[in-house]
Parts: sequence; structure tokens; C-alpha cells
Amino acid sequence: MASPILDRELKKGSAELLILSLVEDRPRHGYDIGQLIELRSRGALRFNVASLYPLLYRLEKRGWIRGRWVEKAGQRRRRYYRLTPAGEKILAAQREGWREFVEAISRITGIQHA
Amino acid sequence: MPEFREAIKERLKGLSLAPAREAEIVEELSQHLEDQYEQSLNRGASEEEARQSVLQELNESDLLAPALKRIERNVPQNPVVLGTEGRTNMIGDLWQDLRYGLRMLMRNPGFTIVAVLALALGIGANSAIFSVVNTVLLRPLPYNNPDALVMVWDDQTHLGFPKDTPSPANFLDWREQNTVFAGMAAMTERSFNLTGAGEPERFDGQRVSANLFSLLGVEPQLGRAFTADEDKPGSRVVILSHRMWQRRFGGDATIVGRALNLNGEAYTVVGVMPRTFQFPTQRDDLWVPIAFSADEASQRGSHYLSVIARLKPGVTLLRARAEMSMIAARLEKQYPEQNMRVGSVVLPLHEEVVGNIRPALLVLLGAVGFVLLIACANVANLLLARAAARQKEISLRLALGASRTRLIRQFLTESLLLAGGGGVVGLLLSLAGLRILKGFIPDTISQVQAINIDAKVLSFTLLVSLATGLIFGLAPATHASNFNLNETLKEGGRDSGASVRGNRIRALLVMGEVAVSFVLLIGAGLLINSFLHLRTLDPGFRTDHLLTAKMELSELKYPDKERRLPFYNELLRRVSALPGVESAAVAGNLPFTYNGDSMAIAIEGHADLPPDQRLDVVYRAVGAGYFNTMGIKIVQGRDFNEQDKSDSVQAVVISEKTARHYWPGESAIGKRLKPGLTTSEGPWREVIGIVKDTRQNDFVAPPKMQMYFVHSQINYSAPNALVVRTSIDPLSLATSVRNAVWSIDKDQPVSNIRSMDEIVSAAVARQRFSTLLLGVFAGLALVLAAVGIYGVMSYSVAQRTREIGIRMALGAQRSDVLKLTITNSLKLVGTGLIIGLAAAFALTRVMASLLFGVSATDPITFATISLILMSVALLASYIPALRATKVDPMVALHYQ
Repeated sequence: MASPILDRELKKGSAELLILSLVEDRPRHGYDIGQLIELRSRGALRFNVASLYPLLYRLEKRGWIRGRWVEKAGQRRRRYYRLTPAGEKILAAQREGWREFVEAISRITGIQHA
Repeated sequence: MPEFREAIKERLKGLSLAPAREAEIVEELSQHLEDQYEQSLNRGASEEEARQSVLQELNESDLLAPALKRIERNVPQNPVVLGTEGRTNMIGDLWQDLRYGLRMLMRNPGFTIVAVLALALGIGANSAIFSVVNTVLLRPLPYNNPDALVMVWDDQTHLGFPKDTPSPANFLDWREQNTVFAGMAAMTERSFNLTGAGEPERFDGQRVSANLFSLLGVEPQLGRAFTADEDKPGSRVVILSHRMWQRRFGGDATIVGRALNLNGEAYTVVGVMPRTFQFPTQRDDLWVPIAFSADEASQRGSHYLSVIARLKPGVTLLRARAEMSMIAARLEKQYPEQNMRVGSVVLPLHEEVVGNIRPALLVLLGAVGFVLLIACANVANLLLARAAARQKEISLRLALGASRTRLIRQFLTESLLLAGGGGVVGLLLSLAGLRILKGFIPDTISQVQAINIDAKVLSFTLLVSLATGLIFGLAPATHASNFNLNETLKEGGRDSGASVRGNRIRALLVMGEVAVSFVLLIGAGLLINSFLHLRTLDPGFRTDHLLTAKMELSELKYPDKERRLPFYNELLRRVSALPGVESAAVAGNLPFTYNGDSMAIAIEGHADLPPDQRLDVVYRAVGAGYFNTMGIKIVQGRDFNEQDKSDSVQAVVISEKTARHYWPGESAIGKRLKPGLTTSEGPWREVIGIVKDTRQNDFVAPPKMQMYFVHSQINYSAPNALVVRTSIDPLSLATSVRNAVWSIDKDQPVSNIRSMDEIVSAAVARQRFSTLLLGVFAGLALVLAAVGIYGVMSYSVAQRTREIGIRMALGAQRSDVLKLTITNSLKLVGTGLIIGLAAAFALTRVMASLLFGVSATDPITFATISLILMSVALLASYIPALRATKVDPMVALHYQ
């Protein structure tokens, strides 16, 4: 794991893309999103409560995702976030930007795709 | 599970977020932490370790507050809970309340449907009755400046006629001498046989002063009104009703100027009245000029006119009365023989037209108001129960900063939404109800066909709905916003002081419902009693299996009794031969169809009484076998028979009352009397029979003195009806009877073929109308009250499940529980009943004028209704009580 500072900056840059990607196929609640990030990055990336939720709220405020309280039988209600049409466009643009960025870094550093 | 909310709240403290938003964030974040905590446990951490790791996560960075601060500022609010922290935005709040209210109502469709339906019944009944009141009582009569129209009557109170019809000579003097009326018109009923075109038919009509139509301010739709010139004997002009013009002449536009054969004479049609014209009722189809003959114009003793007048602008009713009294006093001095103690009465036309239906309508309006109150109480009860279920929501809102007034407003909005829904459905119900109602309103009541739902009714409905919403919404709203927040939160939403107060309101509502429905039921009970009493009164004859037909002989074709007799004899011969006919007779002015003509009589051997003490005796000209056919019991003597001819002993049959009055304590048979005075022309008539009194025109007035002549022996009155006693359904003979008439004279109209049962039943139409409606409304009230009692008892049983469980666990028997529950309910109902009793004693007095033969405080009615209401209340609380006995102590003790 890199230094906390790098970790923070990296996460900051990629976090929006991560969240948007995760709610692309279906609505998810915050804990679910946090778990998935940790799981799919095999523990390399982890958001704690204090950073995940402000992010979610910011994305919601920008209108890219939308949270909704959902009550399911036998469960307490949870807030599920889904991608909005505006969010879809942003996600596509960010994916493209991120791809170009990674390619550029690889070309410079010689790091190959895994 | 450790509690993380406080820790999160701690970190949000500095942000001063909107309470709603803060609550949301706290909920979301704490859930996340709890999930994490559980996961740690699952991975094998101890509880303490798990808690520490979670809290550490929260503490790991102090980023939460600053990060949120950047984002949450200006975050558009999306509150789920309402609370404006003192900021008020009326329109915005209202919109929010409406949307929220609608959502709440849609989420509980069962509740909403029941509430809306209860309200719709109440509001619908109100709208329907109000539209009748509006049309009949409130809307001005359809004449020009109707407030200035008055009716003028003779006042002969000393003879029992406080409103007697004036005589022609008096009318002419009034018209001549008064200075207060812009115009005065007289009219008198006259029926016409229309012949020569199609089936002969009889039409009701009026002889009227030529100025009647201009006095009313109504123009004929076609042609013109009468001219003053036409108000002279010998003029043969006629104005038709729109109805007759349409039905009989197919709305022929060239009808004006055509000649009609009426009563054997040619009349020229000069006009057709508009469809809406009616004066005073819809009965009339023809108008001809009254055209007094010189003989008529000098009559002061025969009273048969109706007189209408229009006040001059600026003249008050009081002044008109004063002047008319003066004129009457002058005429009394001038003509003491006829005008002794004859005064005058001036009454507004509106009063005349609606006066006798007003009390019934007002009582009905009051009744539907009561029904609505009960519906309100029921809905308020439902709302209270729901408010209890919503305590958690309410306390959350209060905790989040909603003000109490804001909550009250939200609750009221919901009530008003319900009331609005009830209003809309109610209006639809009233539309349907009116259609049914119109069938029951006696058509002698003015403007019945004009009853509709107009702007006034709509605004009335709107107002009632709003008021309703406020009434049933206020109690639950103030109650809901009033409970102790801390207590509720502490007790986790379980029973608290609030529900005790709620129970008290509920108890009050039940008492109120019981009291109000008791009053209604008493009202209905009294009317039903009175109606039954009316129907059990003996009319004096047998009404069943009796067919009647109106048959006015043309005066031209049958000018005297010599020409009438063969017709009657032949008719009776043919009708009696019909299968199913037991007997038949001709009659004049059948009971319940006509008020009766009357005259004073002189008694042989007695001096004439002074004019103001002469009592009138109602007389009829009837044919042989009349009493037998009508089923009028002959007390003494005999019926008329074929031997009573014009040249035999001049006979008279009198009623028991007449006999008692003139020959008290002795037999009247063989005694002699004559119409008018001892000095009058005409023979003395011998009493050959005494018959039972018969009712005259209704059941309410006691029978007057009566006497009967046989038509072959008098000239001044002729039979105008046929009565047939049958052994089969009388109406099945209608066609054969009509054909029997036409087989003798094809131009002779036969009208109003009805069974006597129908006639008698029509005579109580008004009473039936109010009885039926009040009965329906009282029934509705009873059902609503029963539902209310049931609801409250169910609720209280549900609330006391735990208590009941403990009692049963401690050894209480089912019967004890049953007794406990029912006693509780009966206490409420009993109190309500006592309140209702007091109210009913006070209120039923306003009904006194509608009652007949029953006192407004009739103890039997009061006792019966109390019993009925008690039993219904008992039943309504028995079912929940039974449920209470089924409580399983184990379940009850776990019950939250």
C-alpha cells in the first residue's frame, strides 16, 4: 500500500468513477458500494464512512446519482442510489478520460496492463 | 447492538443541518456502521473489538464534517418529514400538505373508502334535501316581482273557516274600493270536456279574471292573454297549457285562432302558456275568462273564489291588511245578512304556496344535518384511531422541529381532502337520490319538477363539505398534536397519556352519536306512529275493492236532471252487468277528491239562527245504492233507492254528527230540514236515513256535518263520479267501465279512473313523504351510530388486550370479560341516551305541526326507540366483547 497521502489523492481522483460504475447496472446502498469497492479491488481500495458518504452526497447533489429510501419486507429501510441519465453521460466521459489517462501513464512509465 | 447514532450526531453538530436532513444522514450512516459491526462479529471479532473498529473507522479521519459541510450547504431539501422551523410559506406548505395527505389516504384505501362513503352519505343527503328546500322554499316563485303578490281570503274563523273563499260580489267590491293593490284577480276551478277531435277527454281548468296573467307578469308563449273585453258573459276564448298543447295538439303552431269544442260549446284558442307556467299548481290545462254573469256578480253568500292581488309599489303587507279590514268592516255593515263577522285575510303568495310543506322540509333538513353529524363523529373516530397508530410519525416530526400548528394544519388538510372526496361522491349520490325523491314529493307542492342542483346547491355542498372536514378533523388534529412528546418517545409509542385523552374524545363522540341518532329515531318514530295512526283512522267507508271514475256531464247536452237520469240509469245497468261488479252508484264529489260544498240548513220547528251562528253542512248529490256501494254504514233508516223519484217524498240522509247536532237525544228519522232558511224556497226534506260520518278531504280534519240528497230530487248539484264495488281487482275493470260510458255517449269523457285505495293513499302523500324520508334518515343514523359504537368498542378491546390477558391469567372467566366490556359500552350508550332523551324532548316539539294523533313526547315512542337503540348498541358492542373473551393470556401478555 502506498503512503496515506497518495492513497487519498488517488482515491479522490478515481472515486467518482468507481461509484458511478458500481451503480450503473443496478441501484445499491452505501454499505454495498463500500463492500464492492473493497472486494473488487481485492482490498487495495477502501472507503470509510467519513469519505464514502460525502462523496455519494456530492454526486447526488450534482444530479449524477439519485438516492431513494426503499423499504423491503422484514428489513429496515435503506437508501439506494441509482445512476441518473446525466450520470450515465458523465460515467461514459470519465471512463474515456480515465482510459486515456491510464494509457498515457503506461506509455510513459512502461507499466503494462495486468 | 451498540448505538452509533449519538457518535454520528456528535460529528454533525457543527454543521447545523436541517433537522430532516440530519436525521436522514444519521440513519444512513448508522446503518452502514451497524452492517460493518455485524460483519466484524461474523469474522470472529469480539463485540468490543467490533465496536472499537467501527468507531475507529468513524474517527479515522476527521473528514466527515468538513466534507459534508462543503456538500451539504445549499443541498436542495427533500424533506420526508414536515417542519418549517418557523418559516412559513403558505402556498408551498399547502401544496406539500395536499400531496402528503393524498399519499397518506392512498396508502390506506380501506380507511379512505369507509370514511369517504360515510361522509358521502351524509353530504349527499344534505345536498338532496337542500336542493328541494332551495327550489321549493328559497327560490322566488316564477312570476314577475313575486314578493308583491298576495292572496286575499275571507276570514270566517267563527264558522271554522279562517281562510274562506270570497264571494263574487265581495270580490268586486274589494277590487273597486281598495287603494293598496295594483291589480286584483279572481279565479275558480272549472273542468272542461273536450270533444269533437279524437277521444273525449276531461281537462281541469280555471275561470280567471282577464288580468290574471298580466298581474302575475307572465306572457303566453303563443298568442296573447285575455283582453278586458273578453271578461264578459258570452265570450268564448280559451288559453291552453303548454302540456295540453303538446300532448293533445302535438305542439301545432297554428293552434291560435282554432276553435275547440269545450263542454259542447265552441271556444277560440287565443294563447298557449309557456311550459314552466303554473298557477298555483301544475294541475290546470285550460283558462277561460271568469266573465261573471249579472246574477253571479250579485252573489254575496256563495263563497267559491280564489283571489290574488299585487301590492302597489311601496305598499306594505300591513297597510294592505289594514285597508282590507276596513273594507270588510264596511261591507259587514252594508250587508249584515251575508257578511256578518266576515273579515279579510291578506297572505303573501309565497306563504300560501309553500306554507304547509315548510315544517316538513325544515325537519328533514335538520334530520340530514344530524345524519351528517353522526357521519362526522364516525370519521373523527377513525381518524383518532389512526392518529394513535401514527404516534411514532408524529413524535418524530415534533422531534425534528415541526411546530404543533404545522401538524394541525397537516391533519386538517387530510380531513379536508376526505371531506372533499365525500362531497364529490355525495353530490353524485344526491343526483341519484333526487331522482327517487321526486317520485315521492306530492305534486301538489309548487315547483316540484323544477327541483335541480344549481349553483346554490353546489356552493351549499362545498360549504357543508368544508365545515364537515373542519368538524371531524379538528378533534383528531388537536389531539394528535397535543400529546407529550417525551413520554411517547420514552414509552416507544405505547399507550400514554395521549391515548387516555384519545379514549375520552372517543367516548364523547360515541355519546354524541347515540344522542343525535336517538333524537332522529324519536322524530322518525313519532312520524311513523302518526302516519300509522292516520292510516288506522276509519274514513267512514270501505276503501278496498272500490273503483271510482270522474264523469262530468256536459251542461249543454244534459242541462237538467230529466236528461241526466236516463244516462245514469243506463250506465248503472250496463256497469252492474259486468262480471266482477257487485254494485254501482253515481255520486257527487267523492270523499278525498273534493273539499265539499256546504250550505246552512233550516230545521222544521226551529227559528232561524242569526247569520253568524249558522253552521254549514256539507252536502252531496248521490244516486240510489250509494251508501251500500261505498260501504258507508247506515246507522238508522235506509239507503236511497229507485223509488226516490222527483215526485216522491223529498228525502235527505244525514250523518251521525248532523243528527247529534240538530236532534240531540232524539231520533232524527222522519224529521224535516231544508237548505237555507225556514223562509227559503224549496220543499222541506225528510230525514230517511242516518249514516256514519265520513272523512271529507283528509284524515287530519275531523269529519264535518254532512247530508246527502238523491240527485233525482235536486237541481243545483249533479253527480260527477261513478263508484263501483267489485269482487275482483277494481282496476282490472277500468277499460270495461270506460267502454260502458262510451257505448252510451261516445263524446262523454271518463277521467281519473282510480281505485279508492289509491285516492286515500294520495291523500296522505305528504305525510308519507316526510315519514318515509325521516325514516330512511333515521335508519341511516342508526346504522352509522352502530358502526361507530362497534368501531370504538373494537378499538378499546384491542387496546386493552393486555389488561384482559392479565385478568384472565389471574382467573377471570370469559363471562366476566364479556360483562366488563359490555358494561363499559352500555355506560357510554346510556349516557348518550340520556342526553338524547333531553334533546329529543326539546326538539320534537318543533315537529308538533307534523304530528297527528301522537303527542310530541309520546311515551310509547320514546320507550320503544330507547329499547331499539339499546339493543343495537348492545349488539354492536357484543361482537368486540366476544373477541375480547377469545384473548389468549399468553399472547396478550406479550402484546405490545
